[in-house]
Amino acid sequence: MADVINIQMPLWQLLLLLLIPLAAITIMVVWLRRVAYKHSAPEEKRDWSVPPLADGSGTSLLHCWDVRCKIVTILVCSFAIASLSHLEPALVAIGVSLIILVVARVSFAKVLLRLLAITGFVCMFLVVMPFSVPAHNGDTVLVFNGMDWLGFNLRGLRLAATIAAKAIAIAVLMEPLLSTAPLPVTLHGLSRLGAPEMVGQMVLLSYRYLHVFRHEAWRMSSGMQVRGFRKRTDLATLRAVGNFIGMLFVRSFERTERVFDAMRARGYRGRFPEPAELRLRTRDLLLAAVWLTAGAALIAYDRIAW
Amino acid sequence: MHEPLRPIQKPTLDASLFSMRRVFYRYPDDIQALSCIDLDIAGGDRIALVGQNGSGKTTLIKQLCGLLLPTAGEVLYKGEQLKGEHLDRNRLEIGLLFQDPDDQLFSHTLLDDTAFGPRHQGLSRQDAEQTARKSLQRVNLLDMAYKAPHNLSFGQKKRAALAGLLAMQPNVLLLDEPTSNLDPHQEEVFLNLLRDFSGTLICISHNLIFLYELCDRAVVLDRGRIQHDYTLRELVSQRQSLREHGLDFSFRLVHTASSCDLAQSKPLDELHRTPTLPDVSEGKSLVFLRDYHYRYPDGTLALHGINLSIQDGERISIVGENGAGKTTLLSCLLGLRQGLGEFHFAGRLMTRRWRKTLWRRVGMVFQDCADQLFCPSVREEITFGLHQLGYSRDESRKRLTQVLAMVCLEGFEERVPLHLSGGERKRLALACVLAMEPKLLILDEPTAGLDPQGEELLLDILCNLDVTLLLVSHDMFFVNKLTRRTLVMHRGRILEDMPTHAFLQDERLGNLNELSYTYRRRSRSAILTMQHEHEHSHLHQHLHTHQHRHGEVEHDHFHEHVHEHTHRFAHIHPEDEKNHDHMPRRYHDHDHPGYEVEDHDHDYPGHENETDDHH
Repeated sequence: MADVINIQMPLWQLLLLLLIPLAAITIMVVWLRRVAYKHSAPEEKRDWSVPPLADGSGTSLLHCWDVRCKIVTILVCSFAIASLSHLEPALVAIGVSLIILVVARVSFAKVLLRLLAITGFVCMFLVVMPFSVPAHNGDTVLVFNGMDWLGFNLRGLRLAATIAAKAIAIAVLMEPLLSTAPLPVTLHGLSRLGAPEMVGQMVLLSYRYLHVFRHEAWRMSSGMQVRGFRKRTDLATLRAVGNFIGMLFVRSFERTERVFDAMRARGYRGRFPEPAELRLRTRDLLLAAVWLTAGAALIAYDRIAW
Repeated sequence: MHEPLRPIQKPTLDASLFSMRRVFYRYPDDIQALSCIDLDIAGGDRIALVGQNGSGKTTLIKQLCGLLLPTAGEVLYKGEQLKGEHLDRNRLEIGLLFQDPDDQLFSHTLLDDTAFGPRHQGLSRQDAEQTARKSLQRVNLLDMAYKAPHNLSFGQKKRAALAGLLAMQPNVLLLDEPTSNLDPHQEEVFLNLLRDFSGTLICISHNLIFLYELCDRAVVLDRGRIQHDYTLRELVSQRQSLREHGLDFSFRLVHTASSCDLAQSKPLDELHRTPTLPDVSEGKSLVFLRDYHYRYPDGTLALHGINLSIQDGERISIVGENGAGKTTLLSCLLGLRQGLGEFHFAGRLMTRRWRKTLWRRVGMVFQDCADQLFCPSVREEITFGLHQLGYSRDESRKRLTQVLAMVCLEGFEERVPLHLSGGERKRLALACVLAMEPKLLILDEPTAGLDPQGEELLLDILCNLDVTLLLVSHDMFFVNKLTRRTLVMHRGRILEDMPTHAFLQDERLGNLNELSYTYRRRSRSAILTMQHEHEHSHLHQHLHTHQHRHGEVEHDHFHEHVHEHTHRFAHIHPEDEKNHDHMPRRYHDHDHPGYEVEDHDHDYPGHENETDDHH
């Protein structure tokens, strides 16, 4: 069995090795952020008298797919992607996800925003893993300026890239899952698959009131700022933040009671009305079968070819 | 000596839609919210439920829709007690509009939310959707049917919440402060929608002018008890009665020149008629903005080419419809947001670094004062800002006493802000800001949610402040009383910059700015006609107590007797007649000075044979 291959390099190359990719990623993130905001801004221009999915994009294969089949298939495929252990199949998975994205005709800007949200997490793997993965026989390790303890393991980089590719492939798949049906319909499908109905209702209400809560928190934090509050590392800051969180909690609790009263006053007795009638057709099952076969093929490719 | 609990033509028990019989309600924290409520409401009644903050109005309407059940007594709806199956069956006929529309819009889209009630009434999805669409059409929101509630403006949310109730075609509408925080245009839209409603309507509001237009019966609550039940015309015409219950809004009706001492304000001829480019070189401006823009991260342009100069000691108001950019402008002045363009404060260019120190010189009382009260006691709340400014403990204590006296909250140091009434909280928020001695004081809708007594007290406090004031309000009375210069904002621009009195006389601006004051003016003059006050002389029936002798026995007890004397009182002139009959048509309260010594006849039924010598 081959030993670990150490390649000696000057220290300045380590800086290049780290700084160039980090700078490239930062520039890309800034650019992607701009593109994403630019394309997600004109909400006001949309015609809100028709359902958001009723325009041209709402007629794709995924929009017409039964939501239960869609949830099961995409979740199973996500687990299949997560189980891949090689970089090449993971890159193929990204390709498949992108094809699905195109077929689903969902907003590319939203996908970018979703990817930006996981950028930090993925970058952390790319930076940390090459330096922290233990060297095995056959690994190639770059050693800078004779500092053996700071070895840059190429297998670690490959492993980090595999994780990153799997994360991107799954994140991209989430957009067709969540954007091709209204959230209440998706949650209704989830409850029809056996998830507790109460969980679906809580997610729906949380999503609705997350915006209200965020706005309330912003106003309260502004109220503190205009009276001179600045975060410091002292007890006074801790006390102020504690009061802030406590008051936010009290206000949220009071709102919860009022919302529940409003729901009861309009006839709520434990169940939300069904947002859509779900019908399972043969073509839904066929599409699920095709997709699951593709997932199985991906696993086979990962296990057999590599 | 006004008559308590004097009902107007009450519905008989059979005709009553609602009957409350000796209803008591106590909250779990032992607060007695309602005591001995007896009330009959007939189908088609339009009732104004009025009273001070904390008088039990919201608790009462929650009893009427079954959200709270009485701790004693009973609430009958259509002759049956409103509980159990009867409540479940009939709850959907009773619509309750909450004060905060966000409480009521809990669905994903407006259409889903509006269809929520009809779905629970048993309609199919398609039928419910059709009903919801019709309802959204009525409130003029059909073009936003698929929009999420959090993306609507406040006025739109209010209308959407009403649409959700109208879709249920209720027999009864219960409204809790339907016009709070609405601009005059939205208020009038709301008024017209409610006028078209043909069922029973019970409305809580501090806006008596709005109620005057909408309702014909008034129920006055005071500390959980019904104090009056009469026509709304009688309520608004009896100033004395209004004052007793902290509801006297009449101070709003008299339009005089600003009563506050505005001596420190600049003369009017120094003010602009139209927004011109201010000159910073004079160095006089406290605030100076030139060509200032602000764009939200989502691309919405909120401020567009703002040119503004505020001089030290000026009192300025900003008016404009909801969404005109007023609050965004305030955020920029506070340093919470940074736009593009020049911003100078006290002659210094506000760079990123200086912007962070603006809190030392600019103070703001928020529209919802709950946003700036977060400490467990009034003392901590007020000293919070002082600690940030570096005041010593002794200085803070001294300042605390001063500002509490200034806002009439002496002795409140250890009270919990969360448990104070709306008016007290507003004054506490003001105290927190005043304690820091700002050079510029900003007030965002200071009267929102206050009862008339709270408004009057706040007005007195604000009139006595010696500070540069920037007031954002839809309340033209406060604008008139507190400011001498008005900026009119519309879609992120300052359209006009003019003296307040000129703005108030300019009908054109109301239309241009989508603000409508027409119905308010009409109601105000109608109420003034009713409330006019002058001297009259007519016979009175009085109850007096004084010592007198019955033969050998000397004692005191109540005597009822009739005599004539002059006094002042507010009343209605029937059909504008000047020479009208002043025989008492109703009881009214007034002084009777010297009744102890005045000769009067004690011959009244039951005392015919007595010979009295009174002292």
